[in-house]
Amino acid sequence: MVTALFVLLQTALLLALAPLWNGIVSALKARLQMRRGAPVLQRYRDLARLARKETVLSKDASPLARVAPYAVLGAAVAICTWTPVLSTHAGLGFAGDLVMTVALFAFMRVLLALLALEAGTTFGGMAASRHLALSALAEPALMIAVFTLAIAARSTDLARISAAIVATPNAWISPSHLLALTAMWIVVVSETGRVPVDNPATHLELTMIHEGLVLDVSGHHLALLEWAAAVRQLLLLTLVANLFLPWGIAESLAPAALGVALLAWCAKLLLFAIVIAVTESVTAKMRLFRVPEFLGMAFLLALLALSSDTLLR
Amino acid sequence: MFFAGLDGALLDGAVWGLGAALLLPALALLLPAYRSLLGHTLPRALGVAACVFAALLGARLLAGAASPSLAWWPGLPGEPFTLEPDALAAPFLLLFGIVGAGSFAAHAPTGTPAGAQARLALHVAFALALFAVFTTRHALLFLIAWEGMTLASAALVASDLASARARSAAFVYLALSHVGAAFVAFGLITLAALAGSYQFDALAQAWAALPPAQAAGLAWLFTLGFAFKLGLVPMHVWLPMAHPEAPASVSAMLSGVMVKAGLYGMLRFAWQMPGAPPEHWGTVLMIAGAASALAGALYATVEADAKRLLAYSTIKHAGLLALATGLAATLAANGRPAIAGVALVAVLYHTIGHGLAKAAAFLAVGEAAHAAGSRDLEALGGLARRMPRTSLAALAATLALCALPPFSCFPGEWLTFQALILGFSSGAGQLRLVTPFAGAGLALATALSVAAMVKLYGIGFLGRPRSAGAANAQEVSPLVRRTLLAMAAASLGWGLAAPWLARALGAPLAALLPGFDTASLTQGAGFALIPAGTGAASVAPAVVAGVLVTAALLARLWLRLVRGARPAVRIAPSWSGGAPLGARMQYSALGFTKPLRLVFEPVLHAQRELEVLAGGTPYFARRYRYRTAVPALFERHLYQPFVQAVLWMSEQMRRLQTGSLHLYLAYLLATLVALLIGYR
Repeated sequence: MVTALFVLLQTALLLALAPLWNGIVSALKARLQMRRGAPVLQRYRDLARLARKETVLSKDASPLARVAPYAVLGAAVAICTWTPVLSTHAGLGFAGDLVMTVALFAFMRVLLALLALEAGTTFGGMAASRHLALSALAEPALMIAVFTLAIAARSTDLARISAAIVATPNAWISPSHLLALTAMWIVVVSETGRVPVDNPATHLELTMIHEGLVLDVSGHHLALLEWAAAVRQLLLLTLVANLFLPWGIAESLAPAALGVALLAWCAKLLLFAIVIAVTESVTAKMRLFRVPEFLGMAFLLALLALSSDTLLR
Repeated sequence: MFFAGLDGALLDGAVWGLGAALLLPALALLLPAYRSLLGHTLPRALGVAACVFAALLGARLLAGAASPSLAWWPGLPGEPFTLEPDALAAPFLLLFGIVGAGSFAAHAPTGTPAGAQARLALHVAFALALFAVFTTRHALLFLIAWEGMTLASAALVASDLASARARSAAFVYLALSHVGAAFVAFGLITLAALAGSYQFDALAQAWAALPPAQAAGLAWLFTLGFAFKLGLVPMHVWLPMAHPEAPASVSAMLSGVMVKAGLYGMLRFAWQMPGAPPEHWGTVLMIAGAASALAGALYATVEADAKRLLAYSTIKHAGLLALATGLAATLAANGRPAIAGVALVAVLYHTIGHGLAKAAAFLAVGEAAHAAGSRDLEALGGLARRMPRTSLAALAATLALCALPPFSCFPGEWLTFQALILGFSSGAGQLRLVTPFAGAGLALATALSVAAMVKLYGIGFLGRPRSAGAANAQEVSPLVRRTLLAMAAASLGWGLAAPWLARALGAPLAALLPGFDTASLTQGAGFALIPAGTGAASVAPAVVAGVLVTAALLARLWLRLVRGARPAVRIAPSWSGGAPLGARMQYSALGFTKPLRLVFEPVLHAQRELEVLAGGTPYFARRYRYRTAVPALFERHLYQPFVQAVLWMSEQMRRLQTGSLHLYLAYLLATLVALLIGYR
């Protein structure tokens, strides 16, 4: 009963806070660029407005276009139920693990790419093509980076991995852990569509990947997809925070420990927001065909992290 | 017991059903009045019934029923031919039954009546041979069935005689299959000569008496032979040529079931018969499997022919099967039976999981391509609106082939990853060296195959039609439509019910790995797959699907409240910047995976050719002609030199054969003299 309540609360927390993180990054960026920028809560207003707006669907779209936005959000919610956010007693841990998480991310990605092809426009095809090419490199890097931790914990269960890192205080200084963290960060930057891989603030055809995917989607369908993208981004950041840097996470469901965990989690996310905002302000976007090299580096770093376990022991 | 005679009846029913279906078309020639009934309807119905019997028999054997036996005396010296399916054959029989029933139900007559009858008869013969391969325990009958399977399917591959591509595909298929079959035949006949019997039990005893080096050599002989059928790199070249040329219903059986006969052969002859394979066998198979998975996935992404793309995807999944088999063998050889069991469950579960998904995909894509008049993705598109049911089946099958939850290929991949991680942690032997790279290769192959499958469905079925054929495509007949949806539903069900169904693989697993309990894989009410009782991790596909659907419904409810009485959607033409909307505005299949082609350029060596046709002055181009091709590197660098060597040798031989009678008489005389001197 307590577990069920905890799962519901955790899912609600992730769903509620997901748009906020984007708002914070935009506000920070605006400050760094000496602009006033939009208010932090602007993303919520955008979502609410989109949810009420008229939804236009292409004449060429198949029934999939009506169902896919819901399925994408549903998949994001499913991942929320077992990701360790505040406690290593992650509610539905028996239902999903690392491989299931990566597979559901892939599920969202496949549906997004198919949606982009529904209307039969050039931009949709371009974005889907680039998106798939980049995540074909990013996804295995993510998987292998977390495998490095999974091997130490002898489990692919996310909560167990987190608990295992907490239990061995100096494990994070090992080369394999640091290499895996670097690889993971590159993947997170790429998968969330941030500079230097993609620019979230533009619709220019030369640069767009993530924005291009949803160019032909409107109204409440777009609201669902935007929200799902925000949740997915928060989940990836939570994975970095609680698998690679899991300090502060509660190991029980005691209210005091959960309170500390909430503070620690928010602090880590704020730190990530600052890092991203500064990176986006001081670096330029990469040329598209440089990005595979960047992601290939993540793949190789992750592989090195995994095999350094063998080489160093 | 009520069921006592049931298994025997099912075996009899399957054999006689297929036998009768094979003979009826001949009868139709004698009774032309009943031609359609005897030559088509009745054999098809009998085929479906026989395959259902086979599936039921497989399910009964999985549930632990004793092997029924059917002996037939061909009048030759030696033992009678026996069909006696055992526990190891059970999962393969189940797959054969389900896919076979779907394949016969979806078999549509095309071309002239006589040609259609001949094709159906060959289809039945192919199914009968495949059934015999899985059920016999007699080495000679196994070889005959193996050969029959190859010949019948090669005839079906070449059934479109007007197509030069089909003829050459059938030739390559026959040639490579026979190289593989030669290895198998050599191994089996050697063993039979040692044992003095053709029965599998006697062969196993003879094998046990061999010295270790010879026993290992024999295991490799079989493995090499069966690797041709399984389509491991570099023995795979026939697969993407032959599988797409056959009619859709036959392609489904080729890719869904026949490829698995190669796996069955490996498990039966290189694993079960000698008791356990040597450790290096597993390591080599893991590496070959990872290489096949990567090559298959990579070539699938750059392929523009819908059915060839699916054939390359089969190579990817065959690679996964080989990888997991090799992993299981290495773990078993290192004394880690609990983890080896996880890998073996992955093999058996994925065998059926992939078979169901690939059969559904080949049937749906084949029907769609037939309706649109082309297999080329550049000529398809817009089918999801014109053939909604077929497209729904194709969508489910492509999602399954991406190994996405909750479809049928996910549990096998998940178990393989579990076994890889646990095997690495166990630190046994060469595993620490091989598993990281195998895992990375598998992860990359899976991600690449996602791109390939999105290309197949997104370019082939969504958007606007790219040709007149696709624009005028019509939905298939109700029977075929229902068959397609049933196959897609089977694929979904096999994924959703994984925790319950994985337990049922206990009997075949015990034949390979005595002492492993599949109940240790699952926990509680059977919700979650927990590998080997280690409690390491678990997934529950049905729960995940439940959460996903619930969340989607809640989102729907929320939007209903927010939007009030607003209409759901407004339908409008796609926005094209004001220009008239054309089909060529869409991304082409070629362009869609161009980024991946560029990234993997060092491996693929794609060729490009840009031709500028200038009119009058060189400054104004009238037309551009762009051609690109991904060369078949394996054919060019591996098979071409071999073929050339054979041709060169036969060229040299021709010098002996000049056509002059006198010279031939001189050869005879020389040979005679040489023999007389030699055997004096």
